[in-house]
Amino acid sequence: MQVKEFIRAKSLDEAYALLSSERSVIVAGGFWLKKMNQDYDRMIDLSLLNLGKIEELKDYIKVGSMVTQRDYENSPLIQSLFSDMSGFAVREIMSVPFRNSATIGGSIMGKYPFSDLITSLLCMDVTLEFYPQKEISLMDFLNSKEKNTSILTSILIKKENGKGYFKKVKTTALDFPLVNIAVSRVNKTYKIAIGSRPMVASLCFKAMEYLNSLPNIPNEKEIEEASLIAASELKFLNSYNISGEYRLALAKTYIRRGLEEVNK
Amino acid sequence: MIVSFYLNDVLTSYNVEPGEFLADTLRKNGLKSIRIGCNETSCGACTVLLDGKPVLSCGILSAKVEGHHITTVEGIQEEASKIATHFANEGADQCGFCNVGYALVIYALKRELVNPSDEEIKNYIVGNLCRCTGYLSQFKAIRAYLEDK
Repeated sequence: MQVKEFIRAKSLDEAYALLSSERSVIVAGGFWLKKMNQDYDRMIDLSLLNLGKIEELKDYIKVGSMVTQRDYENSPLIQSLFSDMSGFAVREIMSVPFRNSATIGGSIMGKYPFSDLITSLLCMDVTLEFYPQKEISLMDFLNSKEKNTSILTSILIKKENGKGYFKKVKTTALDFPLVNIAVSRVNKTYKIAIGSRPMVASLCFKAMEYLNSLPNIPNEKEIEEASLIAASELKFLNSYNISGEYRLALAKTYIRRGLEEVNK
Repeated sequence: MIVSFYLNDVLTSYNVEPGEFLADTLRKNGLKSIRIGCNETSCGACTVLLDGKPVLSCGILSAKVEGHHITTVEGIQEEASKIATHFANEGADQCGFCNVGYALVIYALKRELVNPSDEEIKNYIVGNLCRCTGYLSQFKAIRAYLEDK
């Protein structure tokens, strides 16, 4: 990786101006940049911009984009949301030394198909805040094909009193997920997300619509039905280490378990 | 570019390339205790402490540690020697390549976790790979070190 200049931005204004030039990149934790091994003219560091805090606002938990994965998983504010679903998802990522540097912002901006964090966040109400001023829902951000030229500053997670479930299926402790599943419930509203199929996580809208239209808490048969709908509405493809068919079978099973869990 | 940081509590300045990683900077400047195993943030051999927290020096840009405290095994000699003794007692030493990373992560574990369960210990050290042993001996050594006041 050849880099001509490393700049510690002193303001978001400065970082944004620098980013607009060709071959410039924001460095968060830096791990993915290392893996990609590309050359850059400018690497822009956001460490001095006070983006490393998790705060409680009236309706939201505000997570700075430079918060490390480790600080995120250890935050009582994050743990208080949806049975600690998202903290649990992050704790499954690599190792403590890895998570002490990897950031929440970096984990989102990459739109990584294997992301455990993104799958868990999709089952909550999440808005991304960018500089210059722009707010966009996580889902719209994931679906957007436009090249992003603004800087992610914080992640707003709506404070809701709900239950959550997260499952990462992996073959070894440090592995990427073969597939990951998140399920949440607020009163009678359910969300289901599946990631690493191997595409970036997506919500299962049809299954959610089915569950959310039921007059009652879903019974065993309805849960089974929801898991079948969810599994049929998304694509599950083959990778070098797992077949699409097996991915689908796993997803179906863990959606069912997730729904049972959030109904307890 | 010049980067200045506290290396084992001594203010140190090195001339680094903007895209250089800390493990390479430290080794280039004589700290050969830093082991580079996988060189892709997966094996834990290059672990150092950044402001007291274990991090993977092969994945951290040297320019990012400006003003911070970096601790290598040279900076925790007394504790490292205790850990080494427990490793020897349990037969956890074989080729020795992973030991330095282990010493730093175990040192940090003892300071961060209060009365950790077996599960918590395993989760803390899961990123430090050893290709010689089956981890049970390391685990016993860690337990013994935690009880060693």
